[in-house]
Amino acid sequence: MMKPGNFFLIFWAFLGAQFLGAQAEISLSGRIVDDAHLLSPVQYSELEKYLADYESKTSNQIVVVTLKSLEGKNIEEYALELGRRWGIGTKEKNNGVLVLIALEERSVRIEVAYGLEDILTDAQAKIIIERNILPYFRRGEMGEGIIQGVHTIVATLGGEEQELRSSDDEQVSNWSFLLFIIAMIFILFIRSSSGRGPRPPRSGGIFGGGDGRSSSGGFSGGGGSFGGGGASGKW
Amino acid sequence: MGSRLQQGVLLSFLVILSGCGINNIPTYEESAKAAWSQVLNQYKRRADLVPNLVSTVKAYATHERETLEAVMKARSNATSTQIPADILNNPAAFQQFQQSQNQLSGALSRLLAVVENYPNLKANENFLSLQSQLEGTENRIAVARRDYIQAVQRYNTELRTFPGRIWAFILYRSALPMQNFTQPEDVEKTPEVKF
Repeated sequence: MMKPGNFFLIFWAFLGAQFLGAQAEISLSGRIVDDAHLLSPVQYSELEKYLADYESKTSNQIVVVTLKSLEGKNIEEYALELGRRWGIGTKEKNNGVLVLIALEERSVRIEVAYGLEDILTDAQAKIIIERNILPYFRRGEMGEGIIQGVHTIVATLGGEEQELRSSDDEQVSNWSFLLFIIAMIFILFIRSSSGRGPRPPRSGGIFGGGDGRSSSGGFSGGGGSFGGGGASGKW
Repeated sequence: MGSRLQQGVLLSFLVILSGCGINNIPTYEESAKAAWSQVLNQYKRRADLVPNLVSTVKAYATHERETLEAVMKARSNATSTQIPADILNNPAAFQQFQQSQNQLSGALSRLLAVVENYPNLKANENFLSLQSQLEGTENRIAVARRDYIQAVQRYNTELRTFPGRIWAFILYRSALPMQNFTQPEDVEKTPEVKF
């Protein structure tokens, strides 16, 4: 049997390596990651506020990403990877949407998390791209296309879903010693199983959940998971 | 007092064991199974789309009888085959499943290629909606398959390497390696449909 000390050393080294690997790529700096500079400062701040308001009302999390290039990947893969890595949407509801625009490839994708797939279907996502985004992009009005697209997505998702989750009071119980130990074991289980390889996908009501790493900007995903729903288009 | 101590020893023993991956095999097995059920879901979703798609295309593309029939036949092949409970440990059944789904993929992509010759059909709202659903489903299938491939790789590796191999021998003798998809790259890719 491996000595536990050794094991943890290796384990932490592994986690560290994983973290570094993730850092090298594009990071979730806010609701809008405008790497390709498609939005004017005014458009940027308006859209950001709009998205933040929408999230506070509905908890649906929409993130817009513009890239200069996909670096050889196809847009479906790229969007899925970002959505999962950032864990857009909450872990309970999986209610994230990622709008990805790649300038060089002239492609757009709306990636929809599990929880919203029935409300924002593939067909609807396709129609939004074709009717509300691409016409603007073809005229070179990138910022306007993004804004129209996001507004239509919000209109499709609707705003009624407001939900005030009454916090299930988590009481500190008195047999805390045992609970504490159990919790420690539990945490160890989770850590040691999530440290290696990808998380399992969701199935039948069990959510896989990405690991929503917190970002420096005070904005982060909530651990929502994606399964490839959504649509893509080119201009 | 004695029982407290015993409890403590037992618990720390458990902590050490969990660090050694005693739970990995069942955990990975469950996640591979979950990934598999997702694969099945997505394939089913595709099969459910086909009849509608075929009937929409039929109305416009009158000369494509053969292509349409091939799609329907592939669909009924793919859906009529009973999936045995042990498919994940049964190479022949797994192979057959994979083959019948690939046939349907092939027939569908031929159908979508043929559709290019019918501008009226391509302008039809209903068809566009079905087409985007099909595209979306193909993408989900690709995602589900990738997830499954990774989950099975992780599980199989755990079974065959140290220390999982030891746990498998001591505790999980019934755990068998699972079948994985083997596939040429071009089928993995989502079909690109231009408008």
